[in-house]
Amino acid sequence: MKTKSLYSIVAVVMTTVLLLTACGPAATPTEAPPEPTSPPTKAPTAEPTEPPEPTEPPAEVGPCLIIGALHGGPINDAGYNQAMHESVMAIKDNIPCVEIIEAENVPEEAGATSTMENMIQQGAGMIIATAFNHQYPALELSYKYPDVIFEHAGGWEMGANFANFFGEPPDAWYIMGVAAGLMTETNKLGFVAAFPLGWTLTFANAFHLGAASVNPDVETTVTFTFSWGDSAKEADATNSLINQGADVITMHVDSPTTIISTAESRGVYSIGFQSLHAQEFAPEYWISGTGYTLGGTLTWLASTVVDGTWQPIFLRCSLFDGCMAMAPFGPQVPQEVQDEVLAVSAEVEAGTIVVFAGPIVDQDGNIVVAEGEVLTDDLMSSVDWFVEGIIGSPK
Amino acid sequence: MTLLSILGVLSSAIFSGTSLLYTTLGEIIDQRSGIVNLGLEGVMLVSASAGFAVTAISGNPYLGMLVSVIAGGLMNLILGFLVVSRRANQLASGLALMFFGFGLSAWIGRPYVGAKIRGLPRLPLPGLSNLPVLYSSLFKFDLLIYLVIPVAILVWWLLFRTRWGLGLRAVGENADTAFASGRNPLLIRYQALFAGGLLAGLGAAHLSIAYTMNWTEYMTAGRGFIAVALVIFSKWNPIRAIVGALLFSGAVAFQLLLQSSGIQISPFLLDTIPYILTILVLIIWGGTRKHAAPASLGRVYQGTE
Repeated sequence: MKTKSLYSIVAVVMTTVLLLTACGPAATPTEAPPEPTSPPTKAPTAEPTEPPEPTEPPAEVGPCLIIGALHGGPINDAGYNQAMHESVMAIKDNIPCVEIIEAENVPEEAGATSTMENMIQQGAGMIIATAFNHQYPALELSYKYPDVIFEHAGGWEMGANFANFFGEPPDAWYIMGVAAGLMTETNKLGFVAAFPLGWTLTFANAFHLGAASVNPDVETTVTFTFSWGDSAKEADATNSLINQGADVITMHVDSPTTIISTAESRGVYSIGFQSLHAQEFAPEYWISGTGYTLGGTLTWLASTVVDGTWQPIFLRCSLFDGCMAMAPFGPQVPQEVQDEVLAVSAEVEAGTIVVFAGPIVDQDGNIVVAEGEVLTDDLMSSVDWFVEGIIGSPK
Repeated sequence: MTLLSILGVLSSAIFSGTSLLYTTLGEIIDQRSGIVNLGLEGVMLVSASAGFAVTAISGNPYLGMLVSVIAGGLMNLILGFLVVSRRANQLASGLALMFFGFGLSAWIGRPYVGAKIRGLPRLPLPGLSNLPVLYSSLFKFDLLIYLVIPVAILVWWLLFRTRWGLGLRAVGENADTAFASGRNPLLIRYQALFAGGLLAGLGAAHLSIAYTMNWTEYMTAGRGFIAVALVIFSKWNPIRAIVGALLFSGAVAFQLLLQSSGIQISPFLLDTIPYILTILVLIIWGGTRKHAAPASLGRVYQGTE
């Protein structure tokens, strides 16, 4: 009888764990693009096109501003968290009198709240929260501490002392798509994604539109791993795409290292995203990649806090404002391809190419963006379709 | 679906099934001696992070593998202390070990996230090196993959063809009787846990050092629990565990293939296939398991005083 009751316990535990494993994400997404509840209000006039060089503050004893920065994951992940960490550290390089208190690996909301309070107790006058799910903890604290400035990466909420900033990846994805479309020989591209979220689908769509603009025969296959950090499944998914014929692999997961090194070991091209450091994992078959380089923007924001002119701005800035950057091309990318990619990049910058300009047709042949219209930012975050030519199911 | 994609499912099944199989073999030894180790997830994580860290520092994947294996053994000895010496409840201790492993592995692995390592070298199967690289790279295996089937046979031999294995199984069936016939149940359970931990360490080493060449927090993503399920599936038999591990990892690879083959089924549903399969197998095989399970599995041995 005793064995029997043991089995019941084992059965319950196993079933629960299996269900949880099957349904839930393995790790808290540290960089999940936002799903806005209210449409963000953009303030384009206030956007800095070029972050001005901060005026040298007077040398004083003690820091002129203490900045508390917190990240959802480890800051050396060669992915999103590392990109954000380096952006924050750029403030210190540009404004030497600033002191930075940094906390990493703070996945939970409760932990984020206590970490930020701790930073404020230590005298932080500005909080930079880079993880997606830290938006509401930071917003709550902004009511409690009206003298502290809060900046969140990629959110949509605004307040008297709470604002947010981010790069604009879709243009960058389109340009990477052009590179992929020119480099592929099998006309099949592979995209490994964590979850079918609005922004992830938008990235895949932009990537495919770019590829199709230079190579009408190209197909992009998207595979989801349902985890931001299950490396073994990422390797399986990469191999699966390669075995279906894909010869260029790109991804939207937290850390791209496993996917890029798997592609490299199979002799297949890769395109990175999140941090420019991804390149070192593909010495031979690297095409290019894009990453966040928000150092200049954050420096400008911090300088306005220092001189007391900070205003809450919904700040979005693109590849061409220096908020994102393109990694150098890999050794196998011919000069003609490099030239063409850079030419397309110039056209996107000039506005002669608009990535999500209609007509855009989805997988089922429905027109999702009508002729003469452009997909707006807040719609991009809630996209639930794939453009024609993508293989995979978006929901 | 091309020949390449079907071969690819096989290849992925072998690559990601290897770590599962080592871990399952370890759990079979644990359970044959009467101990349910639900802390495998934590054991694997600590082994994977320790092995990865040493590989990153030393640049030698074999050294990292060794450290993984030892770390696995030591983690299981912690469980041994709790459930054998302190006679604690096995399930609660196992879960405690798992959570301890979550924290410890995150701490060990923290400085090495995103580190680039030289993984275990991959050697092509003889005769396949002339194929195009897309095909030959599918069957370029590392040492741990080549060794996994022999290790399964070795575990079977140890359990069913040696005096040590006989004693171990006797303790798992009835520790008092085993004690009466001159065995030391406490020592045997410690030995079983240590051996099981070594094997779980090999599995973890394959995951972080050979296959993904990466450390991320909670990278095992439930594999420790799948191994416990596979033990029941395999009816505590190391040879049958080979089939179980291949089947599960094959199902993961197959659902990824289905996702990318243009089939219009929600990827959310496809992603559950391997787990549904596991649950189905457990239900279907559950009826006959009482003949196979060690009779005193999970029971605390109180000694003879």
